[in-house]
This record gives sequence, structure tokens and C-alpha cells, in this order.
Amino acid sequence: MPTITYVEANGTSHQVELQNGENVMRGALYNGVDGIVGECGGGLACATCHCYVDDAWASKVGSPTSQEEREMLESAVGEIKPTSRLSCQIEMSDALDGLVVHLPEAQY
Amino acid sequence: MAIDVRNPTPPNFVRLAGPDQVPAHVRPDLIRSAGITFGPEFLAAPHKFMADMHNTLPPLFYDVNPFGNAWQAIKHEDALFILRHADIFSNEGATPFPRDPDDYFYFIPIEIDPPQHRKYRNIVDPLFSPQGVLKLESMMRQLANELIDDIIDKGECDFSTEFGRPFPVTIFLRLMGLPVSMTDTFVEWAVALLHSNDRAIMAETMKSISAYLKQAIAEKKATPDDGVISLIAHAAPDGEPLCDKEIFGFVIFLFIGGLDTVFATLNNVWLWLANNPDRRTEMLADPANINAQVEELLRVHSVTFSGRTIVKDVEMRGVQLKAGDRITCILPACNFDPDVFPNPTAVDFHRPKKIILAFTVGVHSCMGAHLARLETKIAIQEWLKRIPEFKVKDGTEIVYRPGGVIGPHHLPLEW
Repeated sequence: MPTITYVEANGTSHQVELQNGENVMRGALYNGVDGIVGECGGGLACATCHCYVDDAWASKVGSPTSQEEREMLESAVGEIKPTSRLSCQIEMSDALDGLVVHLPEAQY
Repeated sequence: MAIDVRNPTPPNFVRLAGPDQVPAHVRPDLIRSAGITFGPEFLAAPHKFMADMHNTLPPLFYDVNPFGNAWQAIKHEDALFILRHADIFSNEGATPFPRDPDDYFYFIPIEIDPPQHRKYRNIVDPLFSPQGVLKLESMMRQLANELIDDIIDKGECDFSTEFGRPFPVTIFLRLMGLPVSMTDTFVEWAVALLHSNDRAIMAETMKSISAYLKQAIAEKKATPDDGVISLIAHAAPDGEPLCDKEIFGFVIFLFIGGLDTVFATLNNVWLWLANNPDRRTEMLADPANINAQVEELLRVHSVTFSGRTIVKDVEMRGVQLKAGDRITCILPACNFDPDVFPNPTAVDFHRPKKIILAFTVGVHSCMGAHLARLETKIAIQEWLKRIPEFKVKDGTEIVYRPGGVIGPHHLPLEW
């Protein structure tokens, strides 16, 4: 299974394995990673699963995949950077094995 | 305060009601009796009333009424703050359904605050995720068409009883793993529990529902299947099986949460569709925008409220709120907040995407939201495909009844 590392704003990092097809938001919730809330459940309706894709992975993960994600990101409270994504929209795959995402200080 | 989920006890919050029971810290200039959900002005046109609240009432006021005095929040940003701070605004005791104090149970997960709350959501969230509910899509489309088959040649129907109720109830029963032959009974229970406004009828209905669900849980324990009741009955978070009270509180909450809300939403949306033929044409001409159309229709036709109990003193908008006070977020009003949704009552299918409060927010954000969105979308698509032209039957008076879920009582349509 591919591995992902979540790095909290305070530097704490959590490395977990996720099944292919699982999204990065739920991976955090199921593994007790603080810093992702995901209150709407992955439906592009809340902007509380905001993350920053590590620079080294930014091109591989890519930019927001839909107009909805771009618009919803504007409701996120953390600073919006070029690497900002809603983590519910990033699906794990072998190609993303080793992915690193950084979490904002707060989701709201 | 943390509760012991396995040993439920009734909360001991004091419920204040009426003008003689206003706490001393409430500023007199913020006291109102707005008649929310029961006053004649509200019932004449509930959503218009709730949109107008931004012009007629303070953004945060203290409502005094016979059912329970409480602060009322109508600003979008205030609702986000309240609903996202479970440490200040607790859900314990927030659900008004009568229970036997000697055989008490919690409604799970709505009455459970973090951190215990996540354990329960993790059990069911995969099923109710956007990807999870998509597995139900073809069943939903077929069901919608079967219901339409039964009425299309008549040229008329009572939308509530012939589509609005049976559509979500049948989906719910299938999802739970319960027999669809129970549809009429479940509809009767939902109506008695949520619309009787009579504590005795509510208590009696709770007994019937409880007996049925307890027996269903026992069956699923003995014979597992792929329904939600079986999933909950066999769940063992961190290796520890749920106890009987947890299972029961979880299953009965899904019943209460899932049946009436979608029904009321569909009734609201169909009344609007019936009265707005040009907008139906606009929707049909832009099928690729259906998700935004559904979201906008949910924004202006939200049906419910989020109540909390304040457990820590807090100041909002310069107003002192104290531990023990109750507060209600009037979600439909928040969705008409002009600071977030300019020209708020206009139905605009091309608004920039924002957080809508139809399904509340925070950890208690509606677990059935994606199910409800999909049901609404499929109902609209299949109906408009086959019955694109329809209107409210001539001579109909649209009536709303008091209660915590807002939608017209009956909706006779003709085409």
C-alpha cells in the first residue's frame, strides 16, 4: 500500500499507509491525524480538509481538479498557496507512494 | 463535559420557557418573541419570513416562547463559529425527542461531542460518502421511475404522499436492510413523531419504533447482511463491539434524521418548480450544471435548525452568552445572509460555491448530506424528464404546520 506523510503545522509528522483509491482526507480521519476536519465528508462542500502538497510532489499531484474545488478553496481559513488542495480530492495511488502533505494551523 | 456513552443518563439542563424565565444576563433590548415555526406570519411563508429576519431582527437575539427560550443566530459566520466549537456549544441534550428516563439512551452520533463522536462516524461514513452513495444511484433512478409510472397517466398527484414520502423512505429502508413493505408504517411513525406536536403521541410512537428496531437489531445480529443496521450491530471500533444502547441509539437516530428532512426538502423544491416554469426550462437546458442547481435549491429551501447548549460563557457580537443558555442556529436564515449570498432570495444557479448550511457544519455536519443531495438530484432529473410541465392544482392552499422541519404539508400537482 502507498505511504503518505502528514506534517502538522507544529512539525509533528504522521506516516500512514493508505489503500489505493482512498482519499487523503479520509486517510487522516481514520488514522487520528489532527489538522484535517473534513466535516462535509468529501463532497466539496466545506473547505475543512485544506492541505498544502509538498513542493516536491506538487507537479505530480497537480492543481485543483475542478472549478468547484477552486471556488471552495476560497472558503478555507488558512493562507491559500499555489500548492493548496482540498485533500478529499486527492486519491492515493502507487504513483503517489511517499506523498507528503502539510497541514494548515487551523481548518476554521 | 464528557458523558459515558455506555451508561446513558438524562441531561439535567434546565429548560426555560416563557417571558417569566429570562436569565438576568440577557439584555432586554435583545428579547423577542418571533414565533419561529409556529407564529402565523412564519407559517404564512416560512422561507420568506426567515430571509426577512435579516431586516426585521437583531443578528443575535433571545427568543422567548412557550416551547423553550433560546438565543437565535441568523448570521452565516455566527453559525459557522457556533457549530464548529463543540467545546463551547455542546450537543448533549440537544435532541428534543422524549425518552424513558429509566431506560435512557443517547441519539448517536448527534448527541455525542468530540472526541468520542468520531468513533461512530468512522463506522458509517464510507457508506454515506459521495462515492458510497453513488452505489445506490441506479436503484434510486429505478425507484423514481416506478413511482412516476404510478401517477403519470392520472395527470395529477398528491406529491407528498405519492412521491415525496415514499421515495426517501423506500431508499432508507433498503439502505438499512429493512423490508420495503414497512414503507407505510415508517411514514406514519415519522409523521406522528415529528408533526404531532403532542408529547403523548410522540412518546407512544417512540415506543412502537423502539420495539420494531430492537427486534430488527436482534435479527441482524443473528443474521448479518450488507445493510446499515447490520453494519452497526457488528461494528467493533478498536476491537471493542458497540453495546446494545449504542447500537440502538445509533439506529434510531438514523431513522429520525433521515426520513422527514428529505421529504420536506422535496416538497419545498417541487412547490418552487411548479411555480417557476421558466426556471424548469432553464434547468433542463443546462443538464451539466445539475449539481450547482441542486446546491442552490438546497440553499433556499433548507428545512431545519441546529440547537446547542452553551457549556462555557462566551461573548458574541458584544453579547454575553452564559453556560446553561440554549442557542439555535436558524440554518435557513443563515443561508439567506446577504453578506455571504448577495441578493439572497434570488435563485441563481451560477453563484460562486460557498458553504451552505442546509446540512449544518462542524463535526455534526449531516452524515446523510450526500445521500440527500443524490436523492434530490435524481428525483429532479427523472421527474423533469417525464413530467416537465406541471403546476400546483387550482384552488390549492399551501399550508405549513408548526414543527422543526419546514415544508408544505400537502402539495397537490396537476399536468
